[in-house]
Amino acid sequence: MTDTRTLTGDEVVAQVSALVEEIFERLKPVLAAAETLLAEPGGAGSGTLHGIRPPVLEALGGLVIGAGFVSAPHVLSDQEFGFEWWTTTGSDQTPEQLFISLDPESPNFLDYTRQSWFTVPRDSGRRHINGPYVDYLCTDEYTLTFTLPVYRDGAFAGVVGADVYVREFERTVSRRLRSLGRRAALLNAQGRVIVSNSVRQATGSLVRDVDVPAWWTSGAEPQTMSGGATLRRCGDSPIALLVSV
Amino acid sequence: MRKEMSNSARLAMFAPLDQLGRAEAVAARLLDAITLGLLDDAEQLPSEIELAAQFRVSTVTVREALAVLRQQGLVETRRGRGGGSFVRTPAWPAPSSWAQRLRLVSLADLRDFGDHYLAVAGSAAKLASERSSPEDLERLRLTSEDLLGTTGPEATRAERHFHLEVAAAAQSPRLTNQEVQLQGEHGGLLWVPLDGEDTCRQSYAEHHAIVTAIAAADGDLARKLTEEHILSALDRLVDLHLSLETP
Repeated sequence: MTDTRTLTGDEVVAQVSALVEEIFERLKPVLAAAETLLAEPGGAGSGTLHGIRPPVLEALGGLVIGAGFVSAPHVLSDQEFGFEWWTTTGSDQTPEQLFISLDPESPNFLDYTRQSWFTVPRDSGRRHINGPYVDYLCTDEYTLTFTLPVYRDGAFAGVVGADVYVREFERTVSRRLRSLGRRAALLNAQGRVIVSNSVRQATGSLVRDVDVPAWWTSGAEPQTMSGGATLRRCGDSPIALLVSV
Repeated sequence: MRKEMSNSARLAMFAPLDQLGRAEAVAARLLDAITLGLLDDAEQLPSEIELAAQFRVSTVTVREALAVLRQQGLVETRRGRGGGSFVRTPAWPAPSSWAQRLRLVSLADLRDFGDHYLAVAGSAAKLASERSSPEDLERLRLTSEDLLGTTGPEATRAERHFHLEVAAAAQSPRLTNQEVQLQGEHGGLLWVPLDGEDTCRQSYAEHHAIVTAIAAADGDLARKLTEEHILSALDRLVDLHLSLETP
């Protein structure tokens, strides 16, 4: 029997799924370049990271306003931390390289190995969408960061990632979300609102009346709540669509 | 590789000075930037003309300011090709440079800075209580623990990082940017561990209480505790300022 209610939002789900897959697709050449670089005999140092620049610059565009590789500690031969990251956040959209403090002794050093865009792929071995969160290391903006784990000899060696502004993601999906005609929101796996069509679900707020993390843990199958709200996953992405009655 | 603070911190650093800036005010701003690490060791400063334009003061004033910093060994000026003024970061800012910086700040400015900082950090704590996920809470706990057993620059960094994480947990880019800007202004001073380890232990206890309130989703308490935490730091700063003025 087809439960028509669980099909509410097919178009939104398809669009979000396609968006997410396209962004991860853009990262694949970056991942390949990073793994090739790290696998080179003698290892990779901070001076050789620029080798992955061409696919990184290629990954920029569309919704992607930042991309690059971030190494795990002690993966590079000559320094503890390291990364190659480029952004198009300037007014003229020209790619610019991001520099942050990598010196643990510096007063400005912020340990990126605590950021979820780093820890989740490291600990799960799977791709991850981090956020919405305030990316104070790079964009200074409300951001979604898509990351894939990078391996060397089977060991976690860092992540490749892409940054998307929440506001641009919102612009892309808001028309379809509004056309649903019911209160609806796209949520991350923690139940945080990425975009909604209702004033009652502010961007960045956590949905409390549904236990979204528990739903993800138990398989994220389409579900109709007792009140009639539906929760379903957008394709293979870690984004869910919650439609209220 | 050159290391940088966020753009907003840089912008704050080069914000125009009120009124006809005096050489001391320019020197103080640059001193802050150097001791906070916004300007890196061996980094070349913009030219005197560029600095004058950025601070909206005359080149003569900039030259005076650079002379002051040169005397303190914080700037080195080289002549000829590839010449210019270069930053020389002290291993850890000597107490005298903090004292010097603090002497230049007026009580009126400190109070106004405190008001602004309380508004930003207090609101951030309240919003963080409403919006923190378990992941955010875990990061807040880790960051609050950074203060354990630290002194000196590590303690200052841990303080600044903690308040930055709270603003980020509030899910507000604007409050986060304000936090960074305020830290760039006087934050380095505010979180100087003036009384050594006792202050750090006290601060850790305060951070711990703030995180507990955020975890309990008690926004009003988180705000109140954050305000008290900052007020006590401000009080220490004012006390020190006064002791410096009347030696």
